[in-house]
Amino acid sequence: VSNLQIYLSLGVFAAVILAIALDLIDMAVAALLGTCALIVFGVLGGEDAGPILGIAGGPLALLFGGMVAARTLATTGIFERIGDGFLRATGGSGKRFLLLLIALVAPVCAFLPNATTVILLAPIIIRVAVALEVDFVAPMILTAIISNSAGLLTLVGDPATFLVGSSIGMSFGQYLHTVSLGGLLSVLVLIPMLPVLFREVWRVRRPLPPVEPPKPIERPWFALLALGTLGVMVALFLVGEALPRPIGPPAAAIVGAALALLVVYEAKVEPVDAVLRDIDWKTLVFLASIFCLVQGITKTGLLQSLSLTLNAAFGNHLIAVALVLLVGIGALSSLLANIPVVAASLVMVKGYLVAAQAVPELGMAPGFSDWPAVTVPVFIAMMFGATLGGNGTLIGASANVVAAGICASQGRRVTFTDFLRYGLPVAAVQIAVSAFYVLVLSRLMH
Amino acid sequence: VSAFLARVLARAALLGLAGLVPLSSQAGQTLDGVKARGALRCGVSEGIPGFSERDAAGRWDGIDVDFCRAVAAAALGDAEKVKFVPLKASERFPALQGNAIDLLLRETTWTLGREARLKVLFPAVLYFDAQALMVPAKAGVKALADLDGATICVEKGTTPERYLPDYFAARGLHFRALVLDSSAEVAEAFFTGRCRAYVSDASQLAAARLQAPGGAQAFVILPERIGKEPLGPVVRYGDDDWFTLVRWVLFALIAAEEVGVTRENAARLRDTAANPTLRRALGAGGGYGPALGVGEDWALKAIESVGNYGEMFERNITRVLDLDRGLNRLWTQGGLMYAPPFR
Repeated sequence: VSNLQIYLSLGVFAAVILAIALDLIDMAVAALLGTCALIVFGVLGGEDAGPILGIAGGPLALLFGGMVAARTLATTGIFERIGDGFLRATGGSGKRFLLLLIALVAPVCAFLPNATTVILLAPIIIRVAVALEVDFVAPMILTAIISNSAGLLTLVGDPATFLVGSSIGMSFGQYLHTVSLGGLLSVLVLIPMLPVLFREVWRVRRPLPPVEPPKPIERPWFALLALGTLGVMVALFLVGEALPRPIGPPAAAIVGAALALLVVYEAKVEPVDAVLRDIDWKTLVFLASIFCLVQGITKTGLLQSLSLTLNAAFGNHLIAVALVLLVGIGALSSLLANIPVVAASLVMVKGYLVAAQAVPELGMAPGFSDWPAVTVPVFIAMMFGATLGGNGTLIGASANVVAAGICASQGRRVTFTDFLRYGLPVAAVQIAVSAFYVLVLSRLMH
Repeated sequence: VSAFLARVLARAALLGLAGLVPLSSQAGQTLDGVKARGALRCGVSEGIPGFSERDAAGRWDGIDVDFCRAVAAAALGDAEKVKFVPLKASERFPALQGNAIDLLLRETTWTLGREARLKVLFPAVLYFDAQALMVPAKAGVKALADLDGATICVEKGTTPERYLPDYFAARGLHFRALVLDSSAEVAEAFFTGRCRAYVSDASQLAAARLQAPGGAQAFVILPERIGKEPLGPVVRYGDDDWFTLVRWVLFALIAAEEVGVTRENAARLRDTAANPTLRRALGAGGGYGPALGVGEDWALKAIESVGNYGEMFERNITRVLDLDRGLNRLWTQGGLMYAPPFR
């Protein structure tokens, strides 16, 4: 990549972000135009199709699967049932609604893909918000933020944590032992922020309508089969990779979507075309375009080449490097998809640790797992930065984009600044708490 | 449960999440980058006489440096279009993997571990080295056996630190290792008499004794060689086109020596040589330049810039380090330097 192409990549990306942030143009159109510009300028070519598919294919498949599953379930009446139960549990209190959201979303997102979870829970959340007579945008944004934060609770909670953890040979148990507490703190720190950031919802108290017997489900077999397809999808999320012929989460989402469409077709409740028409294609196009733009940035090699700069600037002060990474990767992840950021950062961090002689040269080899304890907080800082940085802006995580897309489909547009009002303070506080956690961890592991 | 989770994680890792990490490059990417940048970025040492060292005027010299210039000449048509990036030993692979350099030439040994695990490739051997022992000339030590029970200085993390105990033990000999963090500390310890011998690559010992108090003649390198240290250029995994070009630049220099093409006569031979294969190789047309992604006269440019392999060796190793060619002689003279045919 020539210097000119590096400047072009950065310039185009900055222009797209600015256009979205200043609300100058529709975000999907802005991202698509940016991608076209990179193709026209020769930054992106046919050789990039593989790397883009490798990174974008999984998240897009997860979203498509989740959208089809949610759309199929929408006509069963199940969301209404669960929504009514949730509404009763809130007792008409906005405060309890928000707290219950954390209690519901966090454990689910500790194991299931974040954006898919947001899609599946959105109809329930919107239903409760409407019943409580509050704007559903704030609860939807909170749901996205919880889902991103809860990705830190387990090694498999977020692709970024998994990518970092697996690259240093960290087991599920080791993760629970060293990282999960920090993840829990990131989720819990949301609670004291709720009365401030979500004041309108927090203060709401509404009398609930008297309890009525639930409406009977019109097509119980259809509902059962649709739920069955969701069950297959979730089961494959959890155990698919351990099957003799492994099925990863993206493939599980596609299997679930295909089965759901089969159920729709066979049940003849509505045409398959109607389900596919209701998929949020705009969100999918936007994310696909963003992944293309990120490939343009990754291709510059700027991030990967920073290992020697880190060594020159900080030598073997690993704690300082961990904090710089936490903030730096957090900032980058608030604007870029965190998977490619983490993938490129891993090369940088491993290179830095080798250059700083914290590990032998084999530390750069895939599969190397003999990391000294003193280096582990550096990787943990990366996990926190990559995961929590996504809370910062609308385009920081696919769950945010999906939440905004769902709001738009319900007639409430969420702009970049709308999200920023909630996301930025949350991300800043979470990163600060994580910095404290990483510092304590560094002391303990020294 | 933990076994199950371990299996899940291992599978997922194998399924390719690790593959997202851009450790490798795509074919042709490096050469395209070099051309677009108009300069080759070559990672070299911070200063090892004979291999890569800056003179008083700031100009780089050495066999590693010359080879960088030859590659730049082949790729860009100009041997001066090289940006030398001085690197510590620990920085060389991060620099290569992090794409901070296009080519690494820093006295780096070709090993299976580096190719298989680090995912870097060694296109060919530029210098066949081996570990050796250096002792004060006046000590009267003639062979390894004379060092039984001696204290030997060795740099931490180097090959001899691991293999010297085995080598001595296999011969029923004993020694005490004085392990120090850097080559500079080792040299200082040795020259101040803290140990009787200094073990390292023969080329490194020859370079170290150039700065020895009392002059290089005050120290001798014992004739025994311990293990193999084939040193060569290193490229990133996955860019076959770049790998091929770097490899064949070196072969061109070796083949030139074999057929008597020198810095002085190369251009003339391109036009007048009776052998059509030689003329083609030197860029008379119908050669493999376009297939390599460079000009037809790539080999001529490389030879004209640094001379053939023998000229390069003589200028940097023989004259500077006073080491004979040993295994680095041409195969026709009992050495290991051999280039496949240019057809």
